[in-house]
Amino acid sequence: MKKLSLAVVGVLIVLTAAACGGYEPAEDEVVIGSVHPLTGALAGQGEMMHEGAQLAVDDLNEAGGIESLGGDSLVLRAGDSKGTADAGQIEAQRLVSEGAVALIGTYQSDVTANVSAVAERNRVPLVIDVAVDDVILEQGYEHTFRIQPNASSMGRDGAIALAELSKANGKPVRTVSYLHIEGAFGQSVHDAFEKEAADQGIDVVSEVTYPATNFTDATTQVREALAADPDVVVVTGYYPDSLLIAQAVRSLGGDVDALYGIANGGFDDSAFPADSGPAGADVLSANYHYAATDERAQDIRARFEQKYGRTMETSAMLAYQAVVVIAQGLEESGSKDPEELRDAIADLEIDDPLLEFGGPIAFDEAGENENASVTVMQIRDGKVEQVFPDEFKTADIVYPAGRAAGAKE
Amino acid sequence: MTTLTERPTTIAADDPRLKDSSATRSYAVLGVLVAVLAVLPFLLDDQTETVAVRTLIFAIMAVGWNLMSGYGGMFSFGHAAFFGIGAYTDAYLLVQHGVSPWIAMVVGALISAAAGTLIAFLCLRYKLAGPYFALATFAFAQVFLLAVQNIDALNRTEGFNVPILSEDSWTMMQWKAGSPLYFWIPLGILALGLLGTIWFVHSRTGQYAQAVRDDETAAASLGINVMRVRLVTVAASCALTSVAGSFYTQYYFFVGPEQGFGSAVSVNAIVPAVIGGIGTIWGPLVGALIVGPLSEWIADVLREPPGFLSFLEGLSGLDVAVYAALLILIVLFMPKGIYGTLRDRFRS
Repeated sequence: MKKLSLAVVGVLIVLTAAACGGYEPAEDEVVIGSVHPLTGALAGQGEMMHEGAQLAVDDLNEAGGIESLGGDSLVLRAGDSKGTADAGQIEAQRLVSEGAVALIGTYQSDVTANVSAVAERNRVPLVIDVAVDDVILEQGYEHTFRIQPNASSMGRDGAIALAELSKANGKPVRTVSYLHIEGAFGQSVHDAFEKEAADQGIDVVSEVTYPATNFTDATTQVREALAADPDVVVVTGYYPDSLLIAQAVRSLGGDVDALYGIANGGFDDSAFPADSGPAGADVLSANYHYAATDERAQDIRARFEQKYGRTMETSAMLAYQAVVVIAQGLEESGSKDPEELRDAIADLEIDDPLLEFGGPIAFDEAGENENASVTVMQIRDGKVEQVFPDEFKTADIVYPAGRAAGAKE
Repeated sequence: MTTLTERPTTIAADDPRLKDSSATRSYAVLGVLVAVLAVLPFLLDDQTETVAVRTLIFAIMAVGWNLMSGYGGMFSFGHAAFFGIGAYTDAYLLVQHGVSPWIAMVVGALISAAAGTLIAFLCLRYKLAGPYFALATFAFAQVFLLAVQNIDALNRTEGFNVPILSEDSWTMMQWKAGSPLYFWIPLGILALGLLGTIWFVHSRTGQYAQAVRDDETAAASLGINVMRVRLVTVAASCALTSVAGSFYTQYYFFVGPEQGFGSAVSVNAIVPAVIGGIGTIWGPLVGALIVGPLSEWIADVLREPPGFLSFLEGLSGLDVAVYAALLILIVLFMPKGIYGTLRDRFRS
């Protein structure tokens, strides 16, 4: 027993010692930490976003690095959140300890809530690429910034866009049924939509929620949503559930003017038209979107596909954009001090966003991008096209979108 | 007659052969261990300290779980319920009412103990045993998860953010990031948990609990109040797990339903104990010290692998594979866990 106890203590000491050691940035490097889910269920998304950020770093370095820092080059260090909040926190802390002057991330709202606390306590700026929850920036944090619109502004803008585009096409929406995923994301978008919709003369006649896990058949929920005989069915959710819903709307022959996603993780994904087939035809989606009308964004997407062999979705473009925001901040501050970088980011104005926004990227007091806005996409001939507002149009809208989205044979 | 019954008792108490030397030794080992671990914050950098703190949280949970499932023989698959109660009691009282986390920790532990006792009473009253007992605890934890996701007062799915203060505060259990106190507090809790375990195992109730675990009928026939002994064990187990939850909230500054009540949390309480050795004092600690840093350690190796492993560079997800392989190997070759098996070997 005595020997064993000694052995145990010995092993403990060796184990802890083994865990020490880490990365040291070179003199002419500026480290940016990227926290995304690189393993686990969301690994595909996380890797793509990290690659988006890496492409931005490569592009900026190729263009001469950070000029105001004498051409110092950027280095992107990866952190794996594994999709969980505590792993995200550990990785964020590691990246900061290893000299990261800024963080980007993280795709999930709960992980971001945690990482933003790390950023705040270490006084290092965090630029959120994707994470929608309003409450993240309601904590009064001074070091967190968000490029994309938050949940409530997407709900609001989604309602306005729906009212305007239906009016412009001669069939104003009066009633909608709202299907959304359970949880903070779906609920907050819905609540904001309902509030604005009332002012636009749209009545939410039915709100149907579905569970975030083990959701394998949408028929019951879609039938319930259609039972109220709405003009439009609105959907807020992620990819797999939105796919099930589109298929159920088609198979139930729902007679609606449109299937309309808001902040929907499926409807404007480039894989959606192929996966959904006829069920996806003419589906509308109000969401933040990469600037399809912008040549620079097109070029980035083309090079991304060439380099990584997959399509660059909007989330990866946001990661790219987040690196650009930090690089611009470094350029303005001319310093590797995270506090000075934070101040520079807060005062920043980026006139050529890679997202389809109504104006330059600039952050308000809370850290939200003042000009973040949604664009309406539609699946036309198996492709996701921008259809509204007119200035961002890549194809003409079809509205009403036939008997249910795609139900016309 | 009276002399006959009294004399052996006095003799037994004085007999050095019957003195419990293993308890004394365990206390001594604990003392040394805590003293050694206490200097770690001076040796570790900020990032390694975050891993160390998480490891301590795992260890506290596993020590708590081990009381009920290892010594009590009631396999719990729902310790997330008690971890979550601790985490949420802390978050709710702090955020909504400004109550100090120290008080919230105690309140959470009491609520957890009460909830655990009630759940265990219901399960035992209706004679659920083995896998059925485990499934019932799992179901209760899921009920808590769903309830929290739908209660407005608990912010539903949004969870709670602990407000960040500009200055260090003992009352609010908040210091600047990387402060050694964030290590010493869970270490203290763990030490108390282990102290309690050693004491419990050698106490009358603890001996009864192990007797009930090994043979309920025999124990009952000797006059042991089976239900009482079991409920006491459960209450202690749940209270300790709850304290780990409260500290989690304080350390991570955010808790949502998944962080508190998710089924992954229950697994986190079980795995270290299984790897280290169920029903042993040091097993859960040994297990936590392996499982806690495992994924970070593997990730570190893969980030800049030594020459002979260079083909593994940049691979992600390998920690999960190693973790799984480790579990399988231990179950196959060390069914009593690493510590449990080694102890038996040294003894024989």
